[in-house]
Amino acid sequence: MRGWTRVRAHWLFPYAAAGVLSLALGQRSGAADDARAWLEKMNQALATRNYDGTFFHLSEGRVETMRIVHRVKAGRVTERLQSLDGSGREFVRNNDELTCFLPDQHTVLVEPRQDHGPFLGSLPRFGADVDEFYVIQSLPASRVLGRAARVIAVNPKDQYRFGYRLWLDENTAMPLKTQLCDAHGQVIEQILFARLEMPEIIADADLAPAVRTEGMRWVRQGPTSEPAAAALSAYRAAELPPGFHLTVSGAQTLGGASVPAEHLVYSDGVATVSVFVEPDAAAQSNTAATPSAPAEPPMQGLARVGSGFAFSTIVQGHQVTAVGEVPAQTVEFIAHSVKSFPATPP
Amino acid sequence: MSEQIREQVSAFLDGELPSSETELLLKRLTRDPELRQSFGRYALIGESLRGVSGSASLSLGFAARINRSIDGEPAAPALPAARARPLHWWKPIAGTAVAAGVMGVAVVAWQQRAVAPGITAAPRVIAQNVRLAAVPEPISYTVPAPATAPAMMASARLTNYVFAHSKYSVGLGQGNLLSTLLSEDADAAQGAAVAEAASGNAAPRASTVPAVSRAAQTAP
Repeated sequence: MRGWTRVRAHWLFPYAAAGVLSLALGQRSGAADDARAWLEKMNQALATRNYDGTFFHLSEGRVETMRIVHRVKAGRVTERLQSLDGSGREFVRNNDELTCFLPDQHTVLVEPRQDHGPFLGSLPRFGADVDEFYVIQSLPASRVLGRAARVIAVNPKDQYRFGYRLWLDENTAMPLKTQLCDAHGQVIEQILFARLEMPEIIADADLAPAVRTEGMRWVRQGPTSEPAAAALSAYRAAELPPGFHLTVSGAQTLGGASVPAEHLVYSDGVATVSVFVEPDAAAQSNTAATPSAPAEPPMQGLARVGSGFAFSTIVQGHQVTAVGEVPAQTVEFIAHSVKSFPATPP
Repeated sequence: MSEQIREQVSAFLDGELPSSETELLLKRLTRDPELRQSFGRYALIGESLRGVSGSASLSLGFAARINRSIDGEPAAPALPAARARPLHWWKPIAGTAVAAGVMGVAVVAWQQRAVAPGITAAPRVIAQNVRLAAVPEPISYTVPAPATAPAMMASARLTNYVFAHSKYSVGLGQGNLLSTLLSEDADAAQGAAVAEAASGNAAPRASTVPAVSRAAQTAP
């Protein structure tokens, strides 16, 4: 919000002024409740409606044009996300199976996905726990795609998480435009629809991949499993940024790894950070588990990953990596605080 | 970008373009990679002018750094990647006769993202930026290494992590994450992951092409 008020641009001024006014009139809680209701409507629309749209994904000075097709028919969800330029890549989700068509790699990647939300994502319910770390606001209405839009801001209260600004179609509650912003209101990434239709019926053909799969290599990824019962120790973050807590812990064999990685998921209710713990690759190859593979150097430090960051470090001979759509300091904080704890008997 | 298209893009970003014209613009954009790049820059400049700087943030692409590692240059990631990324970003901007002020904003926005790892280094860097923005040859711009240069990460493993993480990611960021994996620029990382998954080892990475040269040959 701070970033918005020192704006030069004429078009934001009325909004900011109206925002201040509504605060002054003490309508904040009413507006916030209304905003919550709209976020809920948006989630509903994203998960349950049929839609077919084309959007721009603007990130890191690049624009990607994508098409999304989402169909709910007799309780079955099928959706398709297609890159319209360059790579020709497509993701197709059929209920609980995700198939990634990567024609430029002559590869098709198949992965089981349970309880998975729509490709376009959704926002969680905003309960009291979330209120402690985010402020939800209704901003004055605007227009996107020539349609009337509700504008809702979810602003983080500290530097450990990102926020959102959402332009929701007044009629359908579909997000016509979304921005991921940092604590200063700076836009990190945005999605902007150029076309969005919500047809009653979507033909199978619209959900079929355009990619020709002859001669392509099919790769199946393993499902996540419970951590091995025999594990002598478990890795956990000893300290966490405010509001984050452990939501999932499991083990997953990733790619061609010979040993499953421990996978911990921490969340503040909105943002999510995954922590992966694997034996250090160099140490692992010394044990001749994969004699053909050259020892990968251990990963250390920070990398950008889409709209978020990853931070890697070595803890007691194990590679620890935290990754999530959160600011750099959050992944760094969490990765640095990971320690091994003696496994507690069940 | 012609004046007419510029106006169309501007109207579109303001939500004022009629749907018939939007359809046309969209077709043009999907057909024409150069126009798409201009569109991205235009969107960015628009946001900068509106004060919402940092939109479509011009960071060192993660993929670009990954590519450097694949090319066998694991050390000193910041400099080569920084040089590689702005080259195709800058050239057209300089060519579109954008006001120097706007360029300043853009440079600062880019630089802030670029040094995101070393946030403490930002004030020094911005000061340098503003001075550099007035220099007519922005292509020669180099990034001062952040105090704590981020080390290189092995690409394939990290992409596997991102993919596994996307499953648990709540929020709209999840959509963004998948879009990132879909995008061309993530090729190298994704490709390496796939190769690794398929063959059971981390060796076959040689087939991936650096993102920069790929961006240069963007024929549809």
